[in-house]
Amino acid sequence: MPATLARAPAAPRDYAACSGCNLCVLVCPMWRSHRDPRFTPEGLAKALQHGATAAQLAAPVEACSLCGACDPVCPEGIDLPGLVMDLRQKLANSLSPRSSPLLDDLCASLQQGVASGVASRSAPLLLPGPDLRADAALLARVQALLGLAIADDDGDDIALALELGVEIPQHRLQQFLASLRGHSIVAADGLLLRQLRRWLPGSQRMGLGAALSSRPAVRSNLLATDLYVIEARAYHGDYERMVAYYDRLQLETGCALNLDLQRIAIPAGAQGLSQKLGATPGDGDAQAKWILKGRRPARIVVESMADRAAFERVCDLPVVHLAELGEDPEMIKRRPHAFG
Amino acid sequence: MAGYYSPLTSTRTLLLKIPPVEPGTVGPCPVAPDALQGIKRQQTNPARWNGAGWQDFVAALRTSSVELAEGAAACGVYATDAGGTAYGLPHGVVLARSAGQISLLLKAAQAHRVPVTVRGGGLTTEGESVAFGGVLLDMSGMSRVLNVDAQALTVRAEAGIYWHALAEELRRENLDYLSAPLNLTSSVGGTLGVGGIDVNSARLGCSADQALSLQVVTPTGEIVECSDGENPELFQRVILGYGQFGIITEATLRVRPYTPLAMHYYYYSSLRTAIEDLQMLDRNDASDYSGILTIMDCAVNLLVAFDSDEREAAFRKNWESRLRGYGEFGFALCMAGHYALRPWKFREALYLLQRKREVFPEFRRPEYMREGKMHDRSVVFSRAVWKHWGSRQMVIPDLATSADKFIEAVERGNAVCRKYFVHYTLYCVGIKLRPDHQPHYEMSCVPPDAEGWAYGCEFEPMIEGGIYSRDHFQSFKNAIYDVGVDMGASYYRFGGMMKGYIRRVFGDALVDRHLAMKRRADPAMILNRDVIF
Repeated sequence: MPATLARAPAAPRDYAACSGCNLCVLVCPMWRSHRDPRFTPEGLAKALQHGATAAQLAAPVEACSLCGACDPVCPEGIDLPGLVMDLRQKLANSLSPRSSPLLDDLCASLQQGVASGVASRSAPLLLPGPDLRADAALLARVQALLGLAIADDDGDDIALALELGVEIPQHRLQQFLASLRGHSIVAADGLLLRQLRRWLPGSQRMGLGAALSSRPAVRSNLLATDLYVIEARAYHGDYERMVAYYDRLQLETGCALNLDLQRIAIPAGAQGLSQKLGATPGDGDAQAKWILKGRRPARIVVESMADRAAFERVCDLPVVHLAELGEDPEMIKRRPHAFG
Repeated sequence: MAGYYSPLTSTRTLLLKIPPVEPGTVGPCPVAPDALQGIKRQQTNPARWNGAGWQDFVAALRTSSVELAEGAAACGVYATDAGGTAYGLPHGVVLARSAGQISLLLKAAQAHRVPVTVRGGGLTTEGESVAFGGVLLDMSGMSRVLNVDAQALTVRAEAGIYWHALAEELRRENLDYLSAPLNLTSSVGGTLGVGGIDVNSARLGCSADQALSLQVVTPTGEIVECSDGENPELFQRVILGYGQFGIITEATLRVRPYTPLAMHYYYYSSLRTAIEDLQMLDRNDASDYSGILTIMDCAVNLLVAFDSDEREAAFRKNWESRLRGYGEFGFALCMAGHYALRPWKFREALYLLQRKREVFPEFRRPEYMREGKMHDRSVVFSRAVWKHWGSRQMVIPDLATSADKFIEAVERGNAVCRKYFVHYTLYCVGIKLRPDHQPHYEMSCVPPDAEGWAYGCEFEPMIEGGIYSRDHFQSFKNAIYDVGVDMGASYYRFGGMMKGYIRRVFGDALVDRHLAMKRRADPAMILNRDVIF
């Protein structure tokens, strides 16, 4: 497994430090679909420098998928995903309350909290997220590969609140963090993982993709003809370590990665807030199509369930989750075309 | 030149006599022969356009279904350029979507005499892409690759595309562009309008020379295709034309197969010796890439690189032994000896060590190195440039000369840097000239007396969190540019705030001829009007 002890992040700077270098534009999926500088992190920062309000910036703030690609490329060290999350929170506070079943459930969950049992103090925990939970067989395989217990409180509501800009009640946040203190953490949700880096400095944590791909049973089944799709949020949230980790993975296995020339992960399945809430249609999986442009892999291996869904929509290549690799007969039976 | 008596200061002050300008018309030429007399060395931002007729113009655009955005959220992003010393806001912004849309915009702008400032990546440093009122046309909205011909090795792209975005698309076909500026966010159209220098320009020429044909919207709104064979006069004026004679909307460029680079670095304690070696390599076509980057006056890096093992082997066999620079270890020993004998210069030694520690690893990041070769050099170089040289203010005056004048120009420019800043970097590179493109080079960064190669040197102070006034920067730039006037050189960045030097360098006859052409092509003088004329 890659080293998991992360450095405490340097204090991020705010939008005032933006010098307009455009580097975030090059990697931004919003930019790729809109070709409009207002739909870029730089556009947001510059507009704020000139007095724009959160309400004036609602369209780009809601279109952002929080993939975090802008974060590692910013030479000024501005916390650009944090900027978008702040603006979302301001938007949520300034607008009349939006009503949707998703939001209603979330607010109830945040108030109620989650009862958690007493796990042994140092046992590593898995935060699988709702997508993985929904696939019981795959979740069992992940657990078997990693040998981890599933956290009673896996913070799904907190991850969703981060995404939607909903304020997290202090008692709920403290309850969640208390359940994680002292444990090594493997999280499927890259946005939650990114925040845990801030909330639990010094803790041991890693993304599900990196944890799985470091297992010999999985790694040895990656082929040079595979396109390996890194989950963008976890990768960008810990870029310096992850870029080195996946570089080694690529050297060892020969598989292609969904990295651009700047070694930024092109997100395939991430959606903007407005798409997530069903307010606007998606952009037709343009990112997944861009990843595949000019590439002819024999198989696509994904770390996240959202990416799997995106590729299954845009191509007829076999798409497998990382946990499905390995010598597990059940998995081979589930997706025989992916294993030849 | 008139003088007037100021009762407030009781001093006699010389002012440039500027007659009142009727709204919407073009004022007197600010680069007239006597324009610099009596002007103190200070900031020279143009005046903001007064907005006469703006509402009628906006109404005309709406009738034509051209979308125009106004307000802080739309305009704020364009307040300055990469230089960060010229500030201005447009009245409104149009995001380029098609040549037809731009044609409608320019026709309305001509009719209503509204200035149009065109912006690509905004990588200008003298305010050339900053709108001081009027419309800002953001070309980044037209940034798609239209066609890649892997057989003919050409690409057709919309001109607002960033070079890096073009490289991303080309790489999927295992192709690469020929040469482009060493940053990721210059646009193709903007670069073709000014030149574009890369570390392979000594072999492949400037970026503008790789354009085969262009689609241009003229200042009066005609959409015209041009090349060396089709509308050649327009092609000659638009290439290296600083945006005066039309807006490039599409470009067909030559491309080449992608190759990783074998890099070699040589270190010198003498700038002159390094430049002599650089020019020796260029004259003999001994390398595919060559350039000089200084860390300090006594620590000069000559970069040499190759696209193929064969070219590298030929260099090792025939030319490497003629270079007088050291390898990294040898140079470290030299410097250790140098500073051991001069302990009072320990701060200098510390700075050198610090730069080495910070910058060198950037050029050796493992994810960009495979089997000893560097992949994606533009990313490696550009990231390093932004990280270690970039800041909110990028002040980069330059000198472009013929080969034989270059050493003197660099040494004199270096002396100016020493006077104004504690630390600075010089970046020197050669530019192979194409004899058949001589008409393109007229009134451009290519000096008229250059034959075979032109050479350029950028003088970049390290701001390092220091606070300098804009006057200090302007004075520094003027001191560098005065060297150019004295030596009969040219400049890469002679537009915007530095346009006062145009007549001094190019002479009245040439400037007047281009001004007359501009007036014919752009009767209301609306297109990029504060850049040159």
